[in-house]
Amino acid sequence: MNRYTIIIADNSCLIRNGLRSILQKLENVDVVQSIDQKEDVCEIVDQLKPDILIINPNMLNEDCTNVKNSFFQSRNISIILLSDHPNDKNLYQADTFIDYQDNQNIIIDKVQHIIHQKIELVPTKQKSNETLSAREKNILKHIALGLTNKEIADQLFISIHTVVTHRKNITQKLGIKSVSGLTVYAILNNLISMDEVK
Amino acid sequence: MRIKKEMKLADVIQMNYMLIPVIHRFGINLGFGDKTVADICEEREIDLNFFLQLVNAYHDKDYFPKEELQTIPVRQIVDYLKMTHASYLNNTLNEIEQKIELLQSEGSEDKKYITLIRNFFEGYKNELTEHILYEENTVFPYVLAVEDIIKTQNKDPKNLELFKSFSIIKYADGHEDVEEKLMDLKIIMIKYLAPPENITLYHTIIQDLFKLEEDLNYHSRIEDKVLIPKIVLMEKSIQNLFQI
Repeated sequence: MNRYTIIIADNSCLIRNGLRSILQKLENVDVVQSIDQKEDVCEIVDQLKPDILIINPNMLNEDCTNVKNSFFQSRNISIILLSDHPNDKNLYQADTFIDYQDNQNIIIDKVQHIIHQKIELVPTKQKSNETLSAREKNILKHIALGLTNKEIADQLFISIHTVVTHRKNITQKLGIKSVSGLTVYAILNNLISMDEVK
Repeated sequence: MRIKKEMKLADVIQMNYMLIPVIHRFGINLGFGDKTVADICEEREIDLNFFLQLVNAYHDKDYFPKEELQTIPVRQIVDYLKMTHASYLNNTLNEIEQKIELLQSEGSEDKKYITLIRNFFEGYKNELTEHILYEENTVFPYVLAVEDIIKTQNKDPKNLELFKSFSIIKYADGHEDVEEKLMDLKIIMIKYLAPPENITLYHTIIQDLFKLEEDLNYHSRIEDKVLIPKIVLMEKSIQNLFQI
């Protein structure tokens, strides 16, 4: 599962820490930084490039009513406004709006909604079939037999680079990293027999 | 919640049972009635500050009293880490191994697969043992020498030679991949194996593996976040001191 980074910008430490603790309930997000000074916003956002910025409008420059401006858009950052003035919702054009009065479930729903939008934008490989292709099975068999990348490349007439890519994909699909783990998988799935393992 | 010296140790354990092996490594046995943390530490001659910092660091992932932990002598941290190592080698790993053997001896058509799991676990056990021995034989003597140099401000030739032969960064770099096999084993047992007849035992083994992993993570946190930064600082000041 991909993880998403979040920056919280609000001048109240109660709000920053409270929000951070609520967001911990989401398993796929990390709050990488909180900002309490208006002046720091641009620099830190630029440096850390978060996926989502949760910001109080009073942390924005006065002329900045369109927060979906080029600065954020070019960095592909989703903006969530955070405020105790319900009117702010209409003053700025953000991806969504969290009111200080919102309860925990609503806040989580709103953030989750943004994350789902992001997931849909980037069609990931993880969504594809988790089973191995015939080519990958063949490579896995060679790994399980104890061959090195170089030996596999030579035997199958492909480049080492290709072998490495296949290995990466195999590990990602199966969730198994070590050679001995892959070997067990290969035996369980009858890609090799137990006697073949050295 | 922060664990404090006036709390009853029994309440602390109620709060987090994962601390049972931790206090055991300090030589504390269960059956302590209503004694507080402070009482027991006094009785057992355990450094109260170190005990509190350590159980809190175990108990709460976000609690990391870097500064307080920095005040604890290297010797004490090393002693504690050694106790932890001993408990892995003498107890945890053997217990899991015995359970896998039991599963194997119960004889059924799954036998072949259990052998696979057993061999895999053996491989992991050897790897972890090797890693632990490396820490005990190479890393710990080195960090103790570093502390000794700082304490005595003295260029004892033996210590100095040890200091030049190693650097804590070498150790920090290779400190990540030990848990890989353990994670693989869990994934194989959860995702790719049909459980054998004795399902209860099989489940217990998986739960044991999770607990071991969690405990190892705590353990590495002490090494990575306390011991290593402390030694990095000490190395720097030694270099300044002796213009090495």
